[in-house]
Amino acid sequence: MSEQNATPSGASVGETFVRLRNVSKIYQRGAEKLRVLDNIDLEIKAGAFEALMGPSGSGKTTLLNLIAGLDRPTDGTVEVGDTKLSALREGRLAKWRARHVGFVFQSFNLLPVLTAEQNVALPLLLTSLSSAERKKRALTALKVVGLSDRTNHFPRQLSGGQEQRVSIARAIVNDPDIIVADEPTGDLDRQSADEILDLLQKLNQEFNKTVLMVTHDPVAAERASLTRRLDKGSLQ
Amino acid sequence: MKWLGLALRNLKRHRGRVIGTVVGVAVSLMAFMILRTVIFAWTVAAEDAAQDRIATRHKVTFIMPLPKRYIDKIRATNGVSAATWANWFGGKHPKREQEFFATLAVDTDSFFDVYNDMVVPAEQLADWKQDRRGAIIGTSLAKKFGWKVGDKINLRGTIFPGTWSFNVRGVYTAVRRGIDPAQLIFHWQYLNESKVLPGDAKDLIGWVIARISDPKRSAAISKSIDDQFDGESDQTATMSERDLYVSFMGMFSAVLGAIDVISLVIIAIMGLILGNTIAMGVRERTNEYGVLRAIGFENRHLAGMILTEGLLIGVLGAVVGLALAYPLVNHGMGLWIEENMGSMFPYFRIPGTTMGLCLLIGLVLGTLAAAIPAYRTSKLSVVDALRRI
Repeated sequence: MSEQNATPSGASVGETFVRLRNVSKIYQRGAEKLRVLDNIDLEIKAGAFEALMGPSGSGKTTLLNLIAGLDRPTDGTVEVGDTKLSALREGRLAKWRARHVGFVFQSFNLLPVLTAEQNVALPLLLTSLSSAERKKRALTALKVVGLSDRTNHFPRQLSGGQEQRVSIARAIVNDPDIIVADEPTGDLDRQSADEILDLLQKLNQEFNKTVLMVTHDPVAAERASLTRRLDKGSLQ
Repeated sequence: MKWLGLALRNLKRHRGRVIGTVVGVAVSLMAFMILRTVIFAWTVAAEDAAQDRIATRHKVTFIMPLPKRYIDKIRATNGVSAATWANWFGGKHPKREQEFFATLAVDTDSFFDVYNDMVVPAEQLADWKQDRRGAIIGTSLAKKFGWKVGDKINLRGTIFPGTWSFNVRGVYTAVRRGIDPAQLIFHWQYLNESKVLPGDAKDLIGWVIARISDPKRSAAISKSIDDQFDGESDQTATMSERDLYVSFMGMFSAVLGAIDVISLVIIAIMGLILGNTIAMGVRERTNEYGVLRAIGFENRHLAGMILTEGLLIGVLGAVVGLALAYPLVNHGMGLWIEENMGSMFPYFRIPGTTMGLCLLIGLVLGTLAAAIPAYRTSKLSVVDALRRI
């Protein structure tokens, strides 16, 4: 993990890290065109913890996907750090995601046939690290999320909260610049949700990770330093 | 645990389905190997024919005889080191008439000199030559009917009517794969001097087999033999032993062709089974592939994992199929067939090339069966894949 006072990207805390300019996203559904995002301008500072709220279908996840390099805008530009994402071809974009983005999903999305440690080590398979080094880093990440005693457990042997913590460990094992979390507490009870939010706050505050979280939960949003609202594809 | 490890773990996910598919592949490949072995066994006599033997038969058809005097001219032909003849007798075991085996009336003095790949102990050979009713039988025939040296046996003649008595004087061992180990060989004189034979059927021989000094001159010597009989009413067709077998097998070419096609159909069905299993597994895991793509895996990584899965199932099925087919054919069914159907299948074992082909098919078909699911997965957008449940 990176030390305090510097974000993993090298950008200083408070510098603009994510820039969206006139971003629109239109989906074609048969003959119908669906404008999901409409001329979004957005800047997110390095080391920020921001929540994105809004009703279902407002475009939250689409916006998150654009920032994370999972999708491409129909119009406009997305820049993260020094990288203009729309300029990257698919392979380069995948490499960029592997290096710079940590993902946390609502339904955890762990591979059921892998242990916690192996799930966490998955992104490291894309590196040239040795097996021993991959294991060491995966164990470190699991330690950060407080699951050192569950390394050999399979997802089915873990509670929902523990699964999400493994998912967070997987998200940080590559020491990414930004963590994008799509409804990370959506499938959890209140106590587990609080633990996950504590963890995201810890990653933000202690390790200077930029965290962007989509949520429906106002309690979760309160943990963020800034909450943005999206409605019908526009930021309010 | 890297790519192979991931593929292996995916296979463990639905063990029942994977085991069922592996068994399906194994059984398909086993059937394929058995059918290919039938084709091989049918053609092994030709493939394994002696290079230094040529056969002379009537030009019109195999079943028309030649005058016996031809043998002297053939023996005198430049390049021929020895020659013998044989007649098809068509004898049947009187109590087991359904069971086919070759019965040949041969020249006692020269037959086993030309067929030196049918080995008879010297003492038995000498005894046989002394006994006009003597017969030499193959090891398979001896085992099949329980005949042994010293036995008196009767055969029913199908071409030459009546009951024919023989004394078993020896047992030959076939030392070449293409030699039928279930023949009965007896004196041509015994047949020729029989009262059953009408006068105009005497002193005729079925075909001539000659040993040549230089196999490279096989075609020239064959032509030289045929040229000698061009002006005769009974013209000849001389050919290598291999060509003789091939012309004989030509009668069964439709059957062999059908077996060939069936074996390929089996492989196609196997490919569909394999493809379906892999496609099901991949479809169920679309969301996971979306996650992997999200965290940085590229299309080629996912395609590699899916292709590896297909390859593993295919190769595993092939190995299991081989492990089942080898003992079944080479140590069970094959031995039984050689013993009981040696005239058609003198050597019924899975050839090494077929085993290799089986492994190759498992590997290639497994990979090909995974190609479409791999391609489709690589074309999915990350966002669409993540939405799949």
